[in-house]
Amino acid sequence: MAALLLAAAELVLLMALAPGVVGYTRWVKARLQGRRGAGVLQPYRELRKTFGKSMVIADSASWIFHLAPWVVTASTVAAAALVPVVSVHQPADQLGDLFALMALLILGTVFLALGGLDPGTAFGGMGSSREMTVAALTEPTLAIAVLALALTSGSTSLGAIAGTVLANPANAIGPGHALAFAAFLIAMLAETGRLPIDNPATHLELTMIHEAMILEYSGPYLALLEWAAATKLTLLLVLAANMFAPWGIATAIEPGAVARSVGVILAKLLVLATLLAVLETRVAKLRLFRVPELLAVSFTLALLAATSSFFSR
Amino acid sequence: MDLIFSRLTMTGASAMLLVALAMMWRRHVPAYISAFRLQSAALAFVGAVVAWFGDVPELFLVAALILALKGWIVPRILTRMEARRPDARALQPLVNTEMSLLISGALAVAAYELSRPVAEVVNLPTRGGLPLALALIMVSLFVVVSRRQAIAQIVGFLMLENGIALLALLGAYGVPLVVELGVFLDVLLGVLVMQALVPRMESTVAR
Amino acid sequence: MSAAGIDAILIAALLAPPLASAVVAAAARRRPAAGAWFNAAAMGITLLAAAVIALRVVSGRGPVVAGTLWRLDALSALLALLVSVVATLAAWLGPGLERGGPGAETTAFRVYANLFACMMLLAVSTGNLGVMWVAIEATTVTSALLIPVRRTPAAIDASWKYLLIGSVGIALAFAGTVLAFVDYASSGGELELALQWTTLRAAAPALHPEVVQLAFVFLLVGFGTKAGLAPMHTWLPDAHSEAPAPLSAMMSGVLLAVALYAVARWKVIVDVAIGSAFTDTMLVVVGAATVAVGAASLLSQTQYKRVLAFSSIEHMGLACMALGLGPLGAFAALLHLVGHGLAKSVAFLLSGRIYQRYGSADIGAVSGLISAAPGTAILFAAAVLALAGLPPFGLFLSEILILQAAWAAGHVWLTVLVLVLMLLAFAALTTQLQRMLLGRAPAERGAGESPRAPLTVLAVPMVLLASIGVVMPAPLYDLLTRAAEVLRP
Repeated sequence: MAALLLAAAELVLLMALAPGVVGYTRWVKARLQGRRGAGVLQPYRELRKTFGKSMVIADSASWIFHLAPWVVTASTVAAAALVPVVSVHQPADQLGDLFALMALLILGTVFLALGGLDPGTAFGGMGSSREMTVAALTEPTLAIAVLALALTSGSTSLGAIAGTVLANPANAIGPGHALAFAAFLIAMLAETGRLPIDNPATHLELTMIHEAMILEYSGPYLALLEWAAATKLTLLLVLAANMFAPWGIATAIEPGAVARSVGVILAKLLVLATLLAVLETRVAKLRLFRVPELLAVSFTLALLAATSSFFSR
Repeated sequence: MDLIFSRLTMTGASAMLLVALAMMWRRHVPAYISAFRLQSAALAFVGAVVAWFGDVPELFLVAALILALKGWIVPRILTRMEARRPDARALQPLVNTEMSLLISGALAVAAYELSRPVAEVVNLPTRGGLPLALALIMVSLFVVVSRRQAIAQIVGFLMLENGIALLALLGAYGVPLVVELGVFLDVLLGVLVMQALVPRMESTVAR
Repeated sequence: MSAAGIDAILIAALLAPPLASAVVAAAARRRPAAGAWFNAAAMGITLLAAAVIALRVVSGRGPVVAGTLWRLDALSALLALLVSVVATLAAWLGPGLERGGPGAETTAFRVYANLFACMMLLAVSTGNLGVMWVAIEATTVTSALLIPVRRTPAAIDASWKYLLIGSVGIALAFAGTVLAFVDYASSGGELELALQWTTLRAAAPALHPEVVQLAFVFLLVGFGTKAGLAPMHTWLPDAHSEAPAPLSAMMSGVLLAVALYAVARWKVIVDVAIGSAFTDTMLVVVGAATVAVGAASLLSQTQYKRVLAFSSIEHMGLACMALGLGPLGAFAALLHLVGHGLAKSVAFLLSGRIYQRYGSADIGAVSGLISAAPGTAILFAAAVLALAGLPPFGLFLSEILILQAAWAAGHVWLTVLVLVLMLLAFAALTTQLQRMLLGRAPAERGAGESPRAPLTVLAVPMVLLASIGVVMPAPLYDLLTRAAEVLRP
């Protein structure tokens, strides 16, 4: 019962933190670029405002257009529920593991692309086609990268993976681990539409990927999609933190350990988001045809990581 | 102690392979040169680690030589060659980048399979990195075969040498010193001859 | 004087003259002729030393040894003798000795060709497989420097191709060497002497079979690249045809043999470790493929030096194949290397004369050689016919022995295939030869031979080669037999 409550609390924490992570990243980026930047809480304000607005919907939009935001949000929330945030004991382990997580993420991506295609506008279709090009390469990469860890721990349960890394810290500096982390990082940037693959701050439709798909959405639908996107980013950051460097995560469900674990995960998120902002300030967006090349890099790394874990079991 | 030793060498070896793979993605010669410099530094690191933990003092000398020769002198020579090249257009490999990477990945997987007997034979704490060394050898060979530009081919060849040096370090804490020094001399001479040859070649032949 | 002292002096006399010649040629840069004459004289010492070493080995008192680094058994002595003969020929006929005064390329040639020869001698006279590798690698650099002396675009390109492919190949051979070393070191052997051939051979039964196989694949690919085995032969036709004639003679006549020697050395160790089935199969397959490539390319060539280069590929294929055909094959392979070394170096040295006369490397530009320069023509024809496998030359004997060994080993199809390929090569070589010999000589080039001395020098190896085919000299037969015994696991 306590575990279930904790899992629910973790989910709420993740969802609540998500816009804050986005806001913090934007703020750090602004400071790095010499601007003052909006406050960290700005995304919350935007969400409140967008939720309150009425929607403008294209005449050509079908029911898919209406369904997409809900499916995207639902799948992201479900995925978030599977990720161990503050404790390695996940009741959700009984519901789904690594593969379930990947399936949920793909479901969200597919519906987002469908939603972009549905109204039949030029930019939406372009964004969707690009998104699918990228997704076709990133999803397997993410899966293989985490699989590399799963091979060492002998389980696909996310909590168990984190637990194994905790138990054998020496594994964490092996080639499997390092290569998998590098692969995961690149794939994560692509999956969440960050630089150098996609620019989340762009206003130029021709270069958009993620933003182009949601151009037709407004009002509460847009708010849902934005929130889902923020959740996905936070989810993947938490996953990176807890799979590859799970130190500080609670191994027992007791108030002291959980409280400390919350502090640790906040600190990790802070560090990762700062790194993300620094990276986004340092690199330029890739030309579109080079994106698959970068993703091939990460795929190869993930493949190597899995091979190395497989052979050194 | 052995665990730390093993992990440190593994990290160095994976860094070397990582550099070679990341290099495939780059398109300009200077990126190739700095990749080689980085890789040589990682090799020197592995050499120093083996010297310290494996208690083979002469490997400190070898590590220092690697750092001086492959980490500094040879990259400088290559940089100077690149500076003299008339047009520094992006490289156009025979195999495109995605394919290159996938082939390299496949080669590395094959290297793991091939090196299984070697890893069985060796009973040193460093044996975990042996597949990486073999993978590096095969990936470098692929770089030489698939790049058309002379300096890129030289870098591929030098990375091949790095892979072999890594194999020797991890498999047997280095080869006898006479042979080691001979190898260094040959590498240096080879690069010197190549750098004398390449500018003349590119001024006469459209490469 | 003690036997060990004599051994040391002999080895020094073998290796020092080319090294000294290189130093003298570099020092006497202002007077290239002096360097050239010194070189010509010094190589006599090397030749003498090689002959004495061979006789000592044949006399049955074991290998000539000095320290741990130097060790010449019958196999080494045979190769050392072959290298010395060809290097001496190249030194006597190289640039710098002609009557009109030395040309501009003399110093470069005398420095690098001597270093090149010294490295080849070092490779065959060391007992340490690591040092052997270093020396063979060094041959690449020293010879690649010489290919572009004429600085034509084609020569520079050929040199680059040779340098790159050769370096990469030889690096793979080093990977094989390291793998074997790793295997040996892991079985707890003494590391100081690890790469000594004798030590490794003694320790071979304890090696891990799969590791040894992997190592041999790397070694065969690596040294095979230097030996011009298919499919790593692509550099060879360019490099051998663009190099100056004396260098072509050394590269084609002996460098290929030295590379194959390295393969044979390693084969013994692998055979002791895992039996000879694996290496035999590999050598026969690679060798037969190489013969096919060489023989098939002969007819379509339009330049005579390229014809000779492809013929080298064919002959290396035959020798490589023969090494995988048991004891008789090993004997035949060594005899073949000797015959090829003599005939090919004579042919390449004469190709330099032909080039001077006609000013072109194309077969189409050369006609009426027999009427314009009968001496050159007869010797060249003899060398090419020897390469084609015609009696009475030694290569006829070795080719018959190879066919016999293939048949005895039970490879019926291989025997037939090789016989067909030999006939193809014969037809191609004779066709190309008659195009050059017959026809009308261009009048503006004049007739007659000058100078004549080189022809006399070159007649010696051809007579020797013919005598091998008729009645083999007893010491040579002993040397070959003992060398083939070294190759027996």
